[in-house]
Amino acid sequence: MNKSTSIFSKYPIPIFSLVVLSFPFWFEYIGGYPGLDTKILIWALMALGFDILLGFTGYLSFGHAIFFGVSAYATGLMLKHFSPEIIPAMFIAVIVGTIMAFAVGYLTMKRSGIYFSILTLAFGEMLNSAALSTLQDITGGDNGLTIPDVKPVLFGIRMDGLSMYFLAAAILILGYYLARRIATSPFGLILKAIKSNQERLEYTGIDVQKYKLGGFVISAIYASIAGSLMVIYEPYVATEYLHWSTSGELVIMSVMGGVGTLVGPMIGAAFMLYFENVLSVPLGEEWLLVLGIIFMAIVIFLPGGFMEGLARIKKRYFNKSNKEEK
Amino acid sequence: MMPNNKSISEAMLDCYQVSKNFGGLQALSDVNLRVKEGTVHSLIGPNGAGKSTLLNVITGMIVPTHGSVVFDGKPLGNVSPHEINQLGMAKVFQTPAIFPEMSLLQNVCIPALAARDGAFKLNMFDRGEGDPIESFAEETLAEVGLQEVMHSEARFLSRGDKRRLELAICIAHRPKLLLLDEPTAGMARHETESTIELLRKISKSGMTMVIVEHDMNVVFALSDIISVLAQGSIIAEGNPDDVKGNPKVIEAYLGEEQE
Repeated sequence: MNKSTSIFSKYPIPIFSLVVLSFPFWFEYIGGYPGLDTKILIWALMALGFDILLGFTGYLSFGHAIFFGVSAYATGLMLKHFSPEIIPAMFIAVIVGTIMAFAVGYLTMKRSGIYFSILTLAFGEMLNSAALSTLQDITGGDNGLTIPDVKPVLFGIRMDGLSMYFLAAAILILGYYLARRIATSPFGLILKAIKSNQERLEYTGIDVQKYKLGGFVISAIYASIAGSLMVIYEPYVATEYLHWSTSGELVIMSVMGGVGTLVGPMIGAAFMLYFENVLSVPLGEEWLLVLGIIFMAIVIFLPGGFMEGLARIKKRYFNKSNKEEK
Repeated sequence: MMPNNKSISEAMLDCYQVSKNFGGLQALSDVNLRVKEGTVHSLIGPNGAGKSTLLNVITGMIVPTHGSVVFDGKPLGNVSPHEINQLGMAKVFQTPAIFPEMSLLQNVCIPALAARDGAFKLNMFDRGEGDPIESFAEETLAEVGLQEVMHSEARFLSRGDKRRLELAICIAHRPKLLLLDEPTAGMARHETESTIELLRKISKSGMTMVIVEHDMNVVFALSDIISVLAQGSIIAEGNPDDVKGNPKVIEAYLGEEQE
């Protein structure tokens, strides 16, 4: 484990790519099934973007389902009414998600802490109920948006199975590369300073409001792309996509994996989907209870999530190799 | 009513008939304070005299009931903290305000970036490492004597060193005016001595300073001008020797406690 993490810090992108690209070929040996791998990547992409907000700035959004859901609906409508070609659909979906992010971010980012979280939650619920009532002629209401007989294509190539997987993989690898660039950029440094001491930052000549909004919009763009991919993967928009429970799951994934580590939330997403879809079978009805216990145990004993667990294992069993560090 | 910009060109900061009421309490009444460029100007006075209120009016944290503040020829009214800072004013807080989870180098890189790139820049794909800003931050840390520990996390510093770090954060902007709210509060004797030395060095570089301080040793060691506040008004002003011998000042202080 130590070996892989230290090599990982040297060559993060190649190793990450290797894991992601080889994933569908070994996933079935640990109980996975085709299709779940793609879903994991899509959720990992959303969790990765979420970490740019929560992990860097410390702002806990309970409304990221907004961007996932709105973009999913936009993609669905484009595929259904415009063209099964995914590029225009994704393009419009991301534009809609970004505009949404500016509007929601502008209004909610004026508050911090619990007030911010509650405001984002309220926005999400408002949109969710609008989709189920006022806008049901467009969204399909409680039935979700069905897109019968549409097979999404990229330049005429059918997007399903492995081709869909590799589309998601390419986007996730690019997303991870960009997230790492942001993390080490001056912009990322200032986002992290927001979490550390916002007041000092204001008295240091930084327009904190703009940086916060920037971080919020970037993370929302990740969620929008994920929402769009979800509908391309499975041409149907489920009502849960816009539901607050989607935001909630995202928070749980991030906390389980390790907030602020970029890789952690992605591992959290993979774990959660794996648990929900694979381990839940032998566990039967009680799987949610077991997941709850695992989650609580992590929060209580490993507040840094899986990533802290890995760091502890490394420290305990491989201490000799990095003695010179301290 | 506002003073003409030209008439105050030699003043870095001009508080003009500033009054502030908190409900029925008059915290400041008609305070005129002029801080000349390149000077160290101390504000002293008994507890509750209005020193902190005046400092907060200057930094825009408190909006005065009457009067105005002109900084470097520009009137400050309804200006947010980061804008005031971008105009060239930095503040050292009473309790050290730093970025505790970050390295000292990162702590100082942030104001250096703010000075170079302005209040906002969408430079999210720029390389942070190897940026010339890092060597600039390193030099600034060297000025306050913290260069050797620049890679450690700020939260592990002693209180005195946290104060030095905060000073480095503030001077990394190369501000025109540095406000210090009790820079030696809670410091041990030797730390106070070295802080005085450090502040003297900074002031020699030409930076204008306004210091609010209780420790008279610090005040007399550093100040060019001292303004004495009592019950919301300035009762005396002058160089350290004038102020020391001023009967009004002695009375204001004796009324409370003997120094």
